[in-house]
Amino acid sequence: MDRLAAACEDIQRHASRLKKVSILAEYFKTLDSQELALAVQFLSSGPLGRGNPTLFETGEKLQLKIGRSVLREALRVATGWDKETLSVCHAQVGDTGETVCLLMRGTSAEEPLGLLAADDLYQELFDARTTARRVELLAAAFRKYQPLTVKYFVKIITRGLRIGLMARQVQEAVAAAGGATARVAARLFHPLDLMLAKPLERVEDLADPAEWLIEDKYDGMRAQVHFDHGVVRIFSRNMEEITQAFPELVNEFGGLPGNGLLDGEILAWRAGRALNFNVLQRRLSIKRARATLVAEVPVIFMAYDLLLRDGEMLLGEPLSRRREKLEELRPTMISRQHRVGSRAEVDRLFSEARARGNEGLLLKKPDSVYEPAKRGGAWLKLKRPYGTLDVVITAAEQGSGRRATVFSDYTFAVRAAQGFVNVGKAYSGLTDEEIKDLTRQLRSASTEKFGRMMLVKPEVVLEVAFDGVQRSTRHKGGYALRFPRILRWRKDKRPEECDDLGRVEALYQASVE
Amino acid sequence: MEVLFRESGIYLPEIDLWLDNTEPCACTWISHGHSDHARGCHGKAIGTPVTLRFYRMRLWLGENNTEPVQHPLEFSESMDWNGARLTAFPASHILGAAQLLIQYKNERLVYTGDIKLRRPLAGETTQPLQCDRLIIESTFGLPIYKLLERDAAVSAIVHFARECLADGVTPVFIGYALGRGQEIVHVLCEAGIPTAVHGAIAKFIPVYEECGYGFNGWEPYDARATEGKALVVVPSHSSTLEVSGKAVRIAYVSGWAALDNARTRSGAEELIPYSDHADFDELLSLVTLSGAKDVDVVHGYTEPFAHILRTRGFSAAAPQRAGDRTSVEAEG
Repeated sequence: MDRLAAACEDIQRHASRLKKVSILAEYFKTLDSQELALAVQFLSSGPLGRGNPTLFETGEKLQLKIGRSVLREALRVATGWDKETLSVCHAQVGDTGETVCLLMRGTSAEEPLGLLAADDLYQELFDARTTARRVELLAAAFRKYQPLTVKYFVKIITRGLRIGLMARQVQEAVAAAGGATARVAARLFHPLDLMLAKPLERVEDLADPAEWLIEDKYDGMRAQVHFDHGVVRIFSRNMEEITQAFPELVNEFGGLPGNGLLDGEILAWRAGRALNFNVLQRRLSIKRARATLVAEVPVIFMAYDLLLRDGEMLLGEPLSRRREKLEELRPTMISRQHRVGSRAEVDRLFSEARARGNEGLLLKKPDSVYEPAKRGGAWLKLKRPYGTLDVVITAAEQGSGRRATVFSDYTFAVRAAQGFVNVGKAYSGLTDEEIKDLTRQLRSASTEKFGRMMLVKPEVVLEVAFDGVQRSTRHKGGYALRFPRILRWRKDKRPEECDDLGRVEALYQASVE
Repeated sequence: MEVLFRESGIYLPEIDLWLDNTEPCACTWISHGHSDHARGCHGKAIGTPVTLRFYRMRLWLGENNTEPVQHPLEFSESMDWNGARLTAFPASHILGAAQLLIQYKNERLVYTGDIKLRRPLAGETTQPLQCDRLIIESTFGLPIYKLLERDAAVSAIVHFARECLADGVTPVFIGYALGRGQEIVHVLCEAGIPTAVHGAIAKFIPVYEECGYGFNGWEPYDARATEGKALVVVPSHSSTLEVSGKAVRIAYVSGWAALDNARTRSGAEELIPYSDHADFDELLSLVTLSGAKDVDVVHGYTEPFAHILRTRGFSAAAPQRAGDRTSVEAEG
């Protein structure tokens, strides 16, 4: 835990993502597999894990009942500072863990704390029956361990490390540290990082199409359903709980026997096909769905993987076996799988998927194991851009990390009856050299600056590819492009020559009809 | 002795003397050269020779173009003033900073100005003074502020510069125009690191050099030639560097860098919590060492710090007055 804290401090000092990953990987290399699993858990999902008595406790019971008031009381007890002073201090710092660290410096016993001991301590806090006991345990820990360690011990409880480290980078660091030692476990009612697919640019790049199981790639919301004898919880890809928004899914999985954990996609569904993502979005924007909305926008869960079944962990099983188990479970919808013999057939499946309104195809190796958060070669996605547009840059923002010194994020617009209207924002696609040139040109076209952002005269034309058009209340024109990326800088085009709002509207209409 | 706390400064009516009055007046003591203490064209200005020099360098004489009468007071030197005896003593802060001891009718009053207790990177070291009444600042008057000592600050600055240069990245230090800027340049020069200095900071270097601080090998900042050098710039210049397209890493050397949120506020990756102001423990020591019966807290976290002093048995007050905000140039 002491070294985890030191690594976190060091990570804060670097804006470069690569550097963050390498610091973390160096630290991970020093851990054994049990410690590594704990470190990953602390950095990505929170304080409780290993010590739980069974795999199947419900989520409610796993909450550490420690809020701000308990932490502040513990700090008061540990430091002797009065509430008034503590509250001014906390207001300046803005983070409880950091406040504890700053106030305990020079007054704690600075004993070492290992990862396993930290885990035990969390467990002890979890088992504590009264608030008084929790305060006592925390205050004792504040006095005993190194303040920097306590800082992160508390941040893990308050669930905000705030060191600019993303879940993906933790996984990258695990991989960089030698990966295999990190055995990730799936636990019921604990959201899991889902496995990801690597983009496949062209069908021609597939060595042997017969090696793959092929499914439609849906344009919905990736989700995981956890169920156990009538108790159901649904989590998003970002591990947020979204159970309340989908009562019909709770109903469906509440009726299944035993327990399980499924990976799949939530889709707005009517007349045998998925509706545009925009329709589904009406459900996503509401935390607790009302009956009228449920009737208006019905959703289904398109299951495509089963990771746990009746207590048996399936992550390490090949996809083909997980699929058999999934079919035995018989949820309402299971994604159809195809096997083909030629690239031409892949092309045909792709066109059919598109005709059904889906994004493209997913290709999966039948013998592949389920690797959470991994974007390896075992799953591929084929999605080809929906279209391309010529757009003009209207605003630019400084990037982060390696791109902190240049304007690398661009808001772009199409022509409208009066002037230009924004339809999206893109970050990637240009080389560093191009970004540097573009920065120079945009700075001379700047009309107004706000911090790291500036508005520019519409001069620079880009060609962007995107995966769809959606309605947007954020942009004045009423539309936004999905997943836009820059194909090239059209130095040959003038802003008057870029596409107009009419074209965007037409593309949208085509997608909903 | 009666002490009046006014928006523009502190006034002692019995001896008709102002302390750090920022608006033109007949006569004021100037504790140090920062522009939130040394400004306004006064009839007469009393201060250490170095402080008066900084004051003159930044002074706008006004329409009648008459220079104030200047009364230099060396450290440990005394002068009589309207029945009181004034003596200047060193204050660790910027070069030339001084505390003022005022002896009047058996009462000893000390006005610290901006101060720290420990030795600064460049400048004199505080001589703690005993008094009956102490007027002290509290820029970092909360227990969360524990700042680096001189040696630790030197090694943090040098280490960051070397680490960046080894990675092929330009280290940039944000320092204030007067004080922190020269301190950082001094440290880098002493460590033999090639250093380019922004003009706003460079113009005060000769004064430091005359007082015996080494500044070997620095050169004026030139945007076209920054390779292999450490840059020391004023805060307003750092955002320009950020968009210059150069590979830079920015370090913020300040007491405010004690908190992680200084990263978002300053845009810096590296935080070096060093200040020319006292941290919390130093402030407590200064108060304790003074033996003062009464303490007035001015600047910074006045109310919380006075509250803490009261809980420790001091008779402390935070006199109401405007202007307790952090100034742009300095931390006080």
